[in-house]
Amino acid sequence: MQFAMFRRVAAIGAVSALTFAGVGAATMSPAYAASSKVSVVHGIPDTPVDVYVNGKKTLDNFKPGDVAGPLTLPEGKYDIALTKPGEAVDKAILKVDDAAVPGGANISLAAHLSADGKPQITPFANDVSKVDAGKARLIVRHTAAAPAVDVRAGGKPAFEGLTNPKEAKADVAAGTVKADVVLAGTDTVAIGPADLNLKEGTATIVYAIGSADAKNLDLVAQTISGLHSAPGGVPSGTGGQAGTGVDTWWYVLAGAGVLLLVGGGARVATARAGRR
Amino acid sequence: MTVRNRGALAAMAAGAAALTVAGVVACGSRPAEDVGADEAAALASTTPAPTPTTTASGDPSVPVNAGTLPAAGATVPPVRLRIPPIGVAATVNPVGINQRTDEFEVPPSVDQVGWYRYGPGLEAGTGSVVIAGHVDSADQGKGAFFRLRELDRGDTLTVTGSDGRERPYRVVAREEYAKTGIPLDRYFARDGSPRLTLITCGGPFDAKTRHYRDNIVVTAVPA
Repeated sequence: MQFAMFRRVAAIGAVSALTFAGVGAATMSPAYAASSKVSVVHGIPDTPVDVYVNGKKTLDNFKPGDVAGPLTLPEGKYDIALTKPGEAVDKAILKVDDAAVPGGANISLAAHLSADGKPQITPFANDVSKVDAGKARLIVRHTAAAPAVDVRAGGKPAFEGLTNPKEAKADVAAGTVKADVVLAGTDTVAIGPADLNLKEGTATIVYAIGSADAKNLDLVAQTISGLHSAPGGVPSGTGGQAGTGVDTWWYVLAGAGVLLLVGGGARVATARAGRR
Repeated sequence: MTVRNRGALAAMAAGAAALTVAGVVACGSRPAEDVGADEAAALASTTPAPTPTTTASGDPSVPVNAGTLPAAGATVPPVRLRIPPIGVAATVNPVGINQRTDEFEVPPSVDQVGWYRYGPGLEAGTGSVVIAGHVDSADQGKGAFFRLRELDRGDTLTVTGSDGRERPYRVVAREEYAKTGIPLDRYFARDGSPRLTLITCGGPFDAKTRHYRDNIVVTAVPA
């Protein structure tokens, strides 16, 4: 069923000339922006694929729920095609031509279902800015054939009214939270609950995938590490017993010594001069 | 020799004595020189080669992972630290960040030290395992790391993990930084060669703010 729809979309070439220009503006780093890190997330249930980049097979038998990458791609335009495993690239079931990858970005390409259940590819710019010490970044992306949802953490709404294909994010205290996804404004649980271990200094990106109608909604997670910051400082002493500095009074003593030496010397000199 | 002259000479002698005493005090309280700074810096910039990941076919350079929800990793926290040359035998507590100050949460009890639980544990193949402790405190006196600045290259210490295994380390560097200029990113790095970083306070003490100016940082590598 799902697969038939997939083919139809490919036949009419619904998704083409996708551009990531907006992504670039948001994430381009000012200095030597040359290549980008690109990950691929598979969020279309029951549909393993081969992934071709510029006609070259890059991922073989890429399975739903898997995350590939990151690939390092130089800034430029790319043709991305998904085929049934083993099939030729010209029989692509979903393709994007001339997708513009900006330099210096971190991008996730999600192959997923639209809100009304059509396969599509959506590029997301990943926020890879540093998080404060002790914090973790949680990013939630609605990439499922489902209506608007709320994401709850510990039973309380964390993100509300999220729609396909949008994301919501927040930097939160690192640790484990129990999260679930409910239909927006209701307590009707669509996905979960699930324990999310949000590791300090990482971004955890959670994709809601699948289809509400087909009852195969699920979560796929991608983690980006290395976003940690050092603590603001290491305060580790208030006693002063180990102080190695020279107390001000010693400077005063040294100054007095200099004055006495110079003054005394001057007196001796004038006395000698007077006697002559 | 006139009385006046004698007085002047006495003043000169007193001046010389004062200068000498002040000089001796100044030299005596000067902190020990940094040792091994270059080696500590080099440890931070070298990363052991990662084991290559392979996929069935396609481009072998592209790792593929199941997008399962991240689970808690198997960290091995240090639980005990022994540094025989300076008489340290301390309990190590896992600590994080002080919410109010955004600083390292050094255990309030000065005879205990804290391991930065967000950074690498003893199991890690890369990065800096950080343990910090008080040099002293106003109300509790000398802390576990009171003599940390006496450590020198080649001194050995032992860290025991929660798994009960003892891991020997060898000191390669001892550095002193003004707190305003310490390269904390390097000491809290999660990449680079596996190493142990011990931090406490030192340098001149400001009695008004009750803070030390500097941090003492000792770097050790697995022995």
